[in-house]
Amino acid sequence: MRRSPVLSSWVNSQKVVPWLFLSPVIVFALVFFVLPVGFAAYVSLTTWDSLTPPRWVGLKNYQYLFATDPLFLKTLRQTLTFAAGTLAIGVPLALLIAMAFSRVPYKGAWRVAYTLPMVTNIVAVGFIFWFVFRQTDGLLNRVLGLFGLPGPGWLTDPSLAMLSSILVYVWMELGRNMLLFAAGLGSIEEGYAEAARLDGASEWQVFRHVTLPLLRPTLLFVVITGFISGMSYFTLMLVLFPGTQGGPSRAALTTGQYMYQMAFEDLRMGRASAVAYVLFALVLAASLVQLRLLRRGGVEA
Amino acid sequence: MTRRLTGLLGACSALGLMASDAGAQEARTIQVATHYTEEQAAPLLACFDAYEAEHPGVTVEHQQTAYGDFLQTILTSRVGGTAPDIYNVYSVWVPQLAAAGVLEPPPADVAEFIAEGYSPATVGAATIGGQLWGIPTELSIYALVYNRKLLEEAGYSEPPKTWAELREIAQKITRTNDQGNIDVGGYAYGTSVAEGVHPFYAQMFAAGVPPFAEDGRSTNLTSPEAIQILSDQAALFADGITSNAIVVDNFASNAVAMQISANWNKQGWQEAFGDQFADTVGIAPIPTDGPGGTMLYSFLWAVDATSDAKEESWDLLRFLNTPREGGLSCTGEMMQGMGSLAGNSADLELMTANADEFDRAYVEEVTSGRAVTQPNIWQAAEADRILRGYIDQAWAGTMTAEEALTQADAEIQAVLDEQP
Repeated sequence: MRRSPVLSSWVNSQKVVPWLFLSPVIVFALVFFVLPVGFAAYVSLTTWDSLTPPRWVGLKNYQYLFATDPLFLKTLRQTLTFAAGTLAIGVPLALLIAMAFSRVPYKGAWRVAYTLPMVTNIVAVGFIFWFVFRQTDGLLNRVLGLFGLPGPGWLTDPSLAMLSSILVYVWMELGRNMLLFAAGLGSIEEGYAEAARLDGASEWQVFRHVTLPLLRPTLLFVVITGFISGMSYFTLMLVLFPGTQGGPSRAALTTGQYMYQMAFEDLRMGRASAVAYVLFALVLAASLVQLRLLRRGGVEA
Repeated sequence: MTRRLTGLLGACSALGLMASDAGAQEARTIQVATHYTEEQAAPLLACFDAYEAEHPGVTVEHQQTAYGDFLQTILTSRVGGTAPDIYNVYSVWVPQLAAAGVLEPPPADVAEFIAEGYSPATVGAATIGGQLWGIPTELSIYALVYNRKLLEEAGYSEPPKTWAELREIAQKITRTNDQGNIDVGGYAYGTSVAEGVHPFYAQMFAAGVPPFAEDGRSTNLTSPEAIQILSDQAALFADGITSNAIVVDNFASNAVAMQISANWNKQGWQEAFGDQFADTVGIAPIPTDGPGGTMLYSFLWAVDATSDAKEESWDLLRFLNTPREGGLSCTGEMMQGMGSLAGNSADLELMTANADEFDRAYVEEVTSGRAVTQPNIWQAAEADRILRGYIDQAWAGTMTAEEALTQADAEIQAVLDEQP
């Protein structure tokens, strides 16, 4: 039962050992990443209803999306609006709150209060805001009514549906971004600000020229990860506009949800895979930008 | 001692092996997938127990899947090789499922059972291109549903017969709050695809023009009747008689006077109105200037083509759909519990005999021949989604009815042209 010396030395060799240790991760990545990505690439070049064998169509699915599909570009625009909107409102707000809380007593309690939405079930969030936003008898419109203001259709007016989704999403994500900013602010040494103040800098100048540049790595991380998750998001829309095709007149239909409808409601797996690849390309581009900016920011900081 | 113990263990394992061997010969599990909740399916589950008692070795399991995820679940389970043996499917899904070889055509004896026990219109809902695919179950019929009390308060003792009358009554009933939002809507639509598209189809049938050509290869969406119907609908929105915020769900809270809805809502309304149900909920034919009519759709019991218990599955389905001594079939009992109508003629007859005014009004739509089966067209769900998108545009006023329907027709036609 002695081990063969050749096998033993091969297994122990420095060339093989690292791969043996890495093999679980490699197998995992192959099965759950490379394989699906490759298969989706193939499917995106076919017509496939998941019941009968796929039929090769070349680039026709991509051509359809950009030349024929009346909805795809609209959903892409709406997705970008959502991703950009959540950042434009959410990031400054989170930064403001993080800065405010760095100076108040009971920091921990405040942070917990603002982090609670993060751990709240999305269905519960949708349900609560459904009651807040209802047009006729919703909480928000009743309050507006007390001041003699009109009560718009937050969830039923196509021109407001996306804004409502953005506001709820900002509320949900506020705690996460605030925590990241709080950590970033905590890591900046107080000495820089003090030195600036001694040189006669106003509070705004300290913020603009000292805090903000030093916070850049955190800021970039929050912006880029927020953008990437916003680009593929649609869970909130499912619960805020139940039963609809993505809100009134599809005004809150994002590309992610549209892709889901294509795949699982219309059984157009090929077309849906093509959408997945277009989204993938967009997110990849954003990630590359992130890497580049982060590296630069990191070096400067 | 040790030897005795070993002997005992040996005997036990031998017995166990024999038992499992005997089990392997007879044991069959039949999985039945439906979109009904455990509560709705209670009569059916009781029948599963009865069937198991009569057929030792057979186990019947119920898999409940939400209606919205049903098709997707079928597909996923088939890819994973864990497809149920029996499905309760919506008739419009059948063209794709049949074309892909998912469904097993019923054997001759079951086909005969269906031909004898079901009305031709009902059998039509389970038939695609001359091929029967299963046993019809639930009949859903559309009609005008109105709140008698709201109409009476506004001075109307009769429901409207034409769209102009409907509009006049609806306008009179509509009330808005201090912010101009509708408190009580004269009329309502719903947010889902079906809640927009099905009433539209029903109105088209009432106007005497079916939404799709007989052969399912073209649409009638650009007909003058269709354009008139959609532009009349859009006018209700433009004039503030209805809105996206006042929907069919609000009917149960006395906030909607009229809507076009199917009979399966009965259970919900009975719960909402309690002993006021009969005095509140009225049913009438769909108001129209045309010859009159409406749409019905059906679910059907079907068997998976890859099932290894096909024979047993069809046997179970016959058991579930055969009227029991002096009473309803198992399927019929479940339908009655939900306030739905069964496809089986004997069940339907029995239901009509004990029916209240609500049921009689819906049954009248079927027996009078006014109700026409929803055409089982190619990619029906996708066609409906496309149409709903354009109906929304017309309601919102971003497109005229004609523009919306012309676009919808072009897109749906492209889908219909894909069929073999």
